[in-house]
Amino acid sequence: MSTHMLRTVARTLVVFLLAGAVLVMAPRPALAQSGGGDIAVVVNADVPVDNLSLADLRRILLGDREFWPSGARVALLIRAPIARERDAAVRNVCQMSEAQFRQHWIAKVFRADAAKGPRIVYSNEMAIDQASRTPGAIAFVPAPVASRGVKVLKIDGKAPGQTGYMLR
Amino acid sequence: MGLASPAFAQQDSHEHDAAAAQGAGDASYPSLKIAGFGDVNFSATDKPEGPKGFSLGQFVLHMASELSPRVTFFGEVSLSARADAGTGTPAATGFNTEVERMIVRFDQSDRLKISFGRYHTPINYWNTAFHHGQWLQTTASRPEMIQFGGRFLPVHFIGALVEGSVPASGWNVGYKAGLGNGRSTVISRGGDAGDANGNRAWLVNGFSKPDRLYGLEFGGSLYGDTVTTAAAGDFGERIVSAHVAWSKEDPEIIAEVASVRHRKSGSSDVTWNHAYYIQAAYRLPAFNRWKPYYRFEHIGIGAGEVVFAAVPRLDGSTAGVRYDASPLAAIKGEVRSWTRGEGSVRNVGGFFQVCFTF
Repeated sequence: MSTHMLRTVARTLVVFLLAGAVLVMAPRPALAQSGGGDIAVVVNADVPVDNLSLADLRRILLGDREFWPSGARVALLIRAPIARERDAAVRNVCQMSEAQFRQHWIAKVFRADAAKGPRIVYSNEMAIDQASRTPGAIAFVPAPVASRGVKVLKIDGKAPGQTGYMLR
Repeated sequence: MGLASPAFAQQDSHEHDAAAAQGAGDASYPSLKIAGFGDVNFSATDKPEGPKGFSLGQFVLHMASELSPRVTFFGEVSLSARADAGTGTPAATGFNTEVERMIVRFDQSDRLKISFGRYHTPINYWNTAFHHGQWLQTTASRPEMIQFGGRFLPVHFIGALVEGSVPASGWNVGYKAGLGNGRSTVISRGGDAGDANGNRAWLVNGFSKPDRLYGLEFGGSLYGDTVTTAAAGDFGERIVSAHVAWSKEDPEIIAEVASVRHRKSGSSDVTWNHAYYIQAAYRLPAFNRWKPYYRFEHIGIGAGEVVFAAVPRLDGSTAGVRYDASPLAAIKGEVRSWTRGEGSVRNVGGFFQVCFTF
């Protein structure tokens, strides 16, 4: 490699390290909270589905499935980052980190595959309230759930609390 | 109408609080959201090729709006710095403005969506997965076979597209079929103001994302058009392409191949041109902000090729590392080494990029 080449690479390396030193100061994302208990998948009472496969649930979470069998559009409600319900869905169903999940949805909208990302809900009460009032809504809340207007889905044939239920 | 940052970056904003509090059932139309991407670059090459020193990448604005529960609009506008700014009469502006995509889509179901407008031609994985968002792609540069302003593959397509997906017993098969204007007489451009000839371009694309191998996507495309050149008349163009992508980052692998066939109208002489790349990256488990990567790419132009006479050949390697400084900003540093065909002198360059979405 010529001296000129070495200088070329060295110059780029210096710029890279300088920028890295500045950007390394950027705030780091908070870690997800830990906790126990199953997470129930609830849908609006009008959604004509009682059971979803894990793969179907993943497709809904990733925006690859946008319609219910009735033709109603899926309205995905999800807690803001750090919430345990979101963390369980992202890690256990999508097998992604929070950063990957974010990037997936930014890319999804940027690709024109979806006009918007999931709707954020800021509490479990809000999630149930929105799910009960929104046609086609699906949300993730702690089990057990007792509320009018929503129904709890089985995942791969298992309800929350049953052995082998994987969303926790 | 509201302004918001990208779909999932927006979740901490107060605007989103208000929107969420309204209730999903109370949606109003249109629901315009604007997001964007930008990047700043630095390059130093052994022999002059491309920008030197610092340069601004594209400043990209993306607009998405629901017009009704089943009708959506997508727009993408880019502003690109011009090397000839201030020259000519009238003086060239500092930036070129380009409508990159403008799509209105009608969603019947997951199986059937129909849209019209200007697209990034869906015959190449990279072209539709990353578009103009440098932050979305692992590397600083695009593969040269699908470079913006490049000529090997038609980057843009103007017309109508039918698309959808079916579960297919867990294979999750998707399709796209389109009819529209292909290349302009300037073959790096699409026929925005009308087709260059009386023959529309067509394309079909199919892909699968199997449940059993979550993270894998593979597929292929066919594309046909008649290309009208200013100097040599009409050529029939056929493109066959295939891709495989493993999108998990431990590792991330993308490989694509495309072959372009040209046949002069009224002649049986055929030339084939081939290009491919393979890229691998790996997000380090212990240092998960760091993602080293490597790509090899090749562009081969057939002997006697007329349409691609000015398309440079390429054999090149790119090795670099991406550092995710925050969830929405990254820096990348890479070294490239390449040649431009048999007998050409090897060039080496160092490249650096800060990219972000907002």
